[in-house]
Amino acid sequence: MTISIILWFLAILLAPFFAAVILKVKAFFGGKKGPPILIHYYTIIKLFQKGSVYSTSTTLIFKLGPVISLCAAAMALMFLPLAGYRPVLSFHGDVIFIIYLLGLGRFFTIAAAMDTASPFEGMGAAREAYYSIICEATLFMILILFFMLTGDLSLAAYLSGSLPLGLWQTAGSPLLFVIIALFIVLLAENARVPVDDPATHLELTMIHEVMVLDHSGPDFGFVELGSFCKLFFYSAVVSRLIAPFNPDHPALNGCQFIAALLVVYAVVGVTESVMARYKMDKVPKFILTSFALAFFAIIVTLEFLK
Amino acid sequence: MYLFFLSITVIVSGGVLALFLNRHFILMKSASALLIASGCLLGLCDAALKLIHPVPASASIYYLRHFTLSFQIDALSAFFLVLIFGISMLAAIYSFHYMHEEEKPRATAVNYLFFSLLTASMALVVTATNIITFMLLWETMSLSSFALVIYNHHKAENRKAGYLYFVFSHVGAMFILAAFGIIYSCTGSFDFKEMAALTNAAKMVVFIFTFIGFGSKAGVFPFHVWLPHAHPAAPSHISAVMSGVMIKTGIYGILRMYALLDFHTPVFGEILLFAGMISGVLGVVYALGQHDLKRLLAYHSVENIGIILIGIGIGMIGVSSGKPLMALLGFAGGMLHVLNHAIFKSLLFMGAGMVVHKTGTLAIDALGGLLKKMKITGTTFLIGSLAISGLPPFNGFVSEVLIYFGCFEGMNPNRTAFIPILLAIISLAVIGGLALACFTKVFGVVFQGEARSSAAENIDEKGLTMLIPMLVLAGICTLVGVFPRTFVLMAIHGVSAIGTGFEPALLEPFIRFTGNITRVSAIFFALIIVSLTARTLLYRGKTITQSGTWGCGFTQPTAKMQYTGSSYASSILAFFWTVAPRHEEHARIEGCFPGHSRYHSKINDVAELYMNAVIVDPVLALFAKFRWIQHGDIHLYIGYILLAIIVLLFFI
Repeated sequence: MTISIILWFLAILLAPFFAAVILKVKAFFGGKKGPPILIHYYTIIKLFQKGSVYSTSTTLIFKLGPVISLCAAAMALMFLPLAGYRPVLSFHGDVIFIIYLLGLGRFFTIAAAMDTASPFEGMGAAREAYYSIICEATLFMILILFFMLTGDLSLAAYLSGSLPLGLWQTAGSPLLFVIIALFIVLLAENARVPVDDPATHLELTMIHEVMVLDHSGPDFGFVELGSFCKLFFYSAVVSRLIAPFNPDHPALNGCQFIAALLVVYAVVGVTESVMARYKMDKVPKFILTSFALAFFAIIVTLEFLK
Repeated sequence: MYLFFLSITVIVSGGVLALFLNRHFILMKSASALLIASGCLLGLCDAALKLIHPVPASASIYYLRHFTLSFQIDALSAFFLVLIFGISMLAAIYSFHYMHEEEKPRATAVNYLFFSLLTASMALVVTATNIITFMLLWETMSLSSFALVIYNHHKAENRKAGYLYFVFSHVGAMFILAAFGIIYSCTGSFDFKEMAALTNAAKMVVFIFTFIGFGSKAGVFPFHVWLPHAHPAAPSHISAVMSGVMIKTGIYGILRMYALLDFHTPVFGEILLFAGMISGVLGVVYALGQHDLKRLLAYHSVENIGIILIGIGIGMIGVSSGKPLMALLGFAGGMLHVLNHAIFKSLLFMGAGMVVHKTGTLAIDALGGLLKKMKITGTTFLIGSLAISGLPPFNGFVSEVLIYFGCFEGMNPNRTAFIPILLAIISLAVIGGLALACFTKVFGVVFQGEARSSAAENIDEKGLTMLIPMLVLAGICTLVGVFPRTFVLMAIHGVSAIGTGFEPALLEPFIRFTGNITRVSAIFFALIIVSLTARTLLYRGKTITQSGTWGCGFTQPTAKMQYTGSSYASSILAFFWTVAPRHEEHARIEGCFPGHSRYHSKINDVAELYMNAVIVDPVLALFAKFRWIQHGDIHLYIGYILLAIIVLLFFI
């Protein structure tokens, strides 16, 4: 239990580091040196040292938004088995709780954006609300498949234990669809190219970035940390599906976990380097692809498990 | 039963007293509100005790010599009584400051009379045990709520809403009556208990007829057309009662018929499941497209009735396929959602009532920034919004999770009705996402940002009796969300009266889940406190300044440039264009320097659109052919009566 809690802390602490890997990969593709690997820590420390400017339009909700979205993302990490250890919390039905908890975080991010009375932030909020509906449908489709395969409704049962779900098991082929679907959801939910572009600050082209336009100082630091935690959560789930092995030695297990994570983050970086952002009306179709893939996975499994 | 009838008497006397006191406005309001509320409190305590320790209670009265009016309180009735008395009590308290039109003392007195009648008849409907009693009270309930809907009858649209409600509730009642007619002709008895003796084919017809009848009261798609018209027309505490409780009598009817018919075919479950999915998804899609706050909330009732029906449908499929866990979880989730919806929907309607009371408008796009002036209303409305979106740690989440569990249990170990269950899970997920979008829209546009018109400026939130019920309801939302155990047990008690034939003890592992919800909510709250402390520490000694919102370089922003509710919802609605066609009206732009222009958009409800084309117009055309019968000559009318009597004589 103590180890689980320590690992949970480590996950939150290391989330900004992994996110910087994406930047490094992008820099490599651009033929640049890129920012230092600890760039996100520097940014967060810089933000934490600053004061804030609040809009006269805002209320308490604006200040609560970053706190609650960070807490929701950090809480989601508590249910994640890390490096072969049991998660801090786990019970039958926790997956549904996690999905709705992330929904709570999203509600407050949107509410904080609407609090500023800015049309740009309203636009971003509307898109965030729209795309996440399809993402949630995909996640539940995947959940149905996982339930069919394991008969359980907890993240720990899917990703840890003696026989975790994984690409190399008997049900591996439908899980390939699931991995791609989850990867698309990862890109959409975490504001990555081709759905959103975290690098630009051109207001009209964005979803997530534009919603946090008015946050500053420590509040913005919380927002950033929260989004790193969320990205870590999705990446960890995908990486565990790719590498479902349980080496006996804890160090080996940890290395495997980190290596798989780095692969997922690097793939995100590669995707961002080789793709352009989609036009806004193409984004729903892109996310719906993930839904279709998850559905195919279920159909394949139905035949498969007869 | 004495306490129950005593509470009914107190409630009705509160309404009747109002008629005599209408010259003293404040006295009338306080006396009526106090009597109705205390009657409800008495009934609430009685019903809650009966729910926890079920003791068979029944009573009967002879009526017109031939008929018996008989009543009985079992666990199912007690569950609904808790709801009816609880919400009506808070609505009565709320009405004291809300009913403020001193220039209309008589209309107010009549409003109190019908409010008391509505409360009493709802309480009696859920305890009725024979056909005559049930129909009599069902009609009293429909008529008294009709009178409440047309409270502001000087507005043409409210009269239209009342008319629509009248037609729908009576067509529904006719279906129920037809079903009861079949029962009577087969069993020859008015007693509900004899129903189990019907043949299976008759049971099928009876169930489908009563489903249409009760569905039109509950607001199941496509019988929901009256709902978005009637709720905005009625005063807000009445909308709270009608949407929170009255439409649930339809759900009670469906559950009661299911229990009485004792016929476990998968068809019933599948009908309910599909009706639930369609109502759920379409209800929230149409809600997103509304411009009027109370109309929007009314469509959310359609959505939540959908969720309840999904739960009950899963329960019925579970019973018919012999899966105890699926059955119990489905029914318990549906029942708990009945309770939860009553709580958060009346909270939201009361919040909307405060908004209209202070600003005089319900147009979402004319409001804005209310949270700064209405701290309590805004905060409680936020809690209601989070609860209705099914987010933890509030009550909507608990019931939705139970329904999810029921769905998943249906796939375990062998798959029954796989595709319907898969669709149910996906629709629940989509409903959740859409509800979140809809309530971020409502909260963001109405309560946040800047005032979009002068109506939303210079307001306050005075009116203690309006604030107290909202605070109580918001407290209950959180209480159920954080400590769901007692309430889940309550729902399970209620389910035990449906007669699933399964032991509720099987649910023990899922009751343990409620403990987990309490635990993770506590951890989540602790995490928030830690983060807030960290935030305070980080801000210590820092310069915090105020400024305008960053306009991306634009320095002259106005409140009109804010994102409106319509623009917020437009891209989602465009996705659902097949079921929610948009109707736009705007003046043509002419010349190089066009003058003032206007734009109006409306999301059409397909049920309403096709109801006219498919049902109303053909029926009107048919009856237009018989217009010659109505010639206005009184002598011939007397002839008709005579003829009818003679014809009847041949048959009897």
